[in-house]
Amino acid sequence: MNPTTVRLTNIHKSFGRQEVLRGIDLEARDGDVISIIGSSGSGKSTLLRCIPFLEIPDQGEVTVGDETIVLTGAGHRFSRAERQKIRRLRGQIGFVFQSFNLWPHMTALQNVMEVPLHVQGRPRAECREEAEAMLAKVGLADKRDAWPAHLSGGQQQRVAIARALASRPRALLFDEPTSALDPELVGEVLRVIRALAEEGRTMLIVTHEMAFAREVSSHAIYLHEGRIEEAGPPQQVFLDPVSERCRRFVRGQAGPVD
Amino acid sequence: MDLAFIAAVFPKLLAGLPLTLSLAVLSLSGGAILALLLSGLRASSWLGAQFANFYVYIFRGTPLLIQIFLIYYGLAQFPALRHSLLWPLLREPYVCAVLALMLNDAAYTSEILRGGLRAVSSGAIEAAKVAGMSRPTMLRRIVLPLAFRQALPAYGAEVTSMVKATSLASVVTLMEVTGLARAEVSQSYRAIEVFLCAAVIYLVLVTLITRLVHWLEDRLSTHRSPALDRSPA
Repeated sequence: MNPTTVRLTNIHKSFGRQEVLRGIDLEARDGDVISIIGSSGSGKSTLLRCIPFLEIPDQGEVTVGDETIVLTGAGHRFSRAERQKIRRLRGQIGFVFQSFNLWPHMTALQNVMEVPLHVQGRPRAECREEAEAMLAKVGLADKRDAWPAHLSGGQQQRVAIARALASRPRALLFDEPTSALDPELVGEVLRVIRALAEEGRTMLIVTHEMAFAREVSSHAIYLHEGRIEEAGPPQQVFLDPVSERCRRFVRGQAGPVD
Repeated sequence: MDLAFIAAVFPKLLAGLPLTLSLAVLSLSGGAILALLLSGLRASSWLGAQFANFYVYIFRGTPLLIQIFLIYYGLAQFPALRHSLLWPLLREPYVCAVLALMLNDAAYTSEILRGGLRAVSSGAIEAAKVAGMSRPTMLRRIVLPLAFRQALPAYGAEVTSMVKATSLASVVTLMEVTGLARAEVSQSYRAIEVFLCAAVIYLVLVTLITRLVHWLEDRLSTHRSPALDRSPA
């Protein structure tokens, strides 16, 4: 079996009195593509954001690569060593946001080079070469000097994917990567993600694109009210789930077929 | 109006320009550093924020002229200061004027910076965090460059207003452009000609600065979409 890349153990998270995650266990092994589905409010984005500590879980254990962080309760104050550990853990992840979040004062190429150059401290020439290769990979070699504001949503998201790849992450996390896009731009982004899946990259994808998720993922998870209600191979989760609620959800999302 | 007289007076006033500029440059640089420190203080703790707010409240709430008087005439009332090593400096009108202008500028600049910082999108910050950036790197590479771009128009206005405010230094005997103009008027009694000349010097300065800021804005706002350029925020 492939080594574990991301592991979540008994993750709990509340916002005020609202318990959003109620004990989630999840494991992504090297090369896994895990899609996470569920209705809005099911906690799927929060779950994904807990991995790089964009949301801080109240309780549980997060492992990425060889960094593990254990949470003991809400309002946990991190020591200096723990904060450095979180930074190292983040360094092993590439995160793609729903709203792209490119840095608006940098060109496409500068966005992609930023982290390798200024966080990882790799040589400039190497960073530039690799950033150009990443932009070419997402089909935007000719847009290297464009400002984010001059790119379409689909192009911005592809630059964001190139940026996530440039730091050589062990796992890529996608938080509804096509939800903010006009329908005609969704395809170009999904094509890039599909190509990455075919390369054997480890990925966790929160998405509403059911057909896409069914095709690319090796595992699927259906989240309901902060718990994993159904998990398994995509054929099971999308076509023949055990849970009645999951069955209704995937039918509803697929649209009125029958 | 006597053109020959104006032609003679103009170079006399221009002799005060270096002093005017040095007052402006020193107090603006000192004010900018202090403003950064105030912003740091504001972010550091509740007490720090209270102090920064109080500082801004005092210096924006009172006239600059009074602040200059307080520093120039007021400090001498403290024997401890008068006997301190700093006294040779603090009794200099030039030092007092720079000090007052700088402290005043810091209050305004820190508020401008605060507005710029608030405009930095949380998405840009999250993207930096998730990439494992340390706080200093994030400040240097993402937050401050974005805040600076946002604050530039307001800061440009602050720079011009400080250049004009240096004329107040003439009340503590400094012979910058306004000081020279007053001296000239008391000799020639030709107030209109002399003060108009002084006004023109300030006007040219302010115009140059405004141009420079606009040029900088244009250069730095390439990241905005063409449609958004120059539209009100």
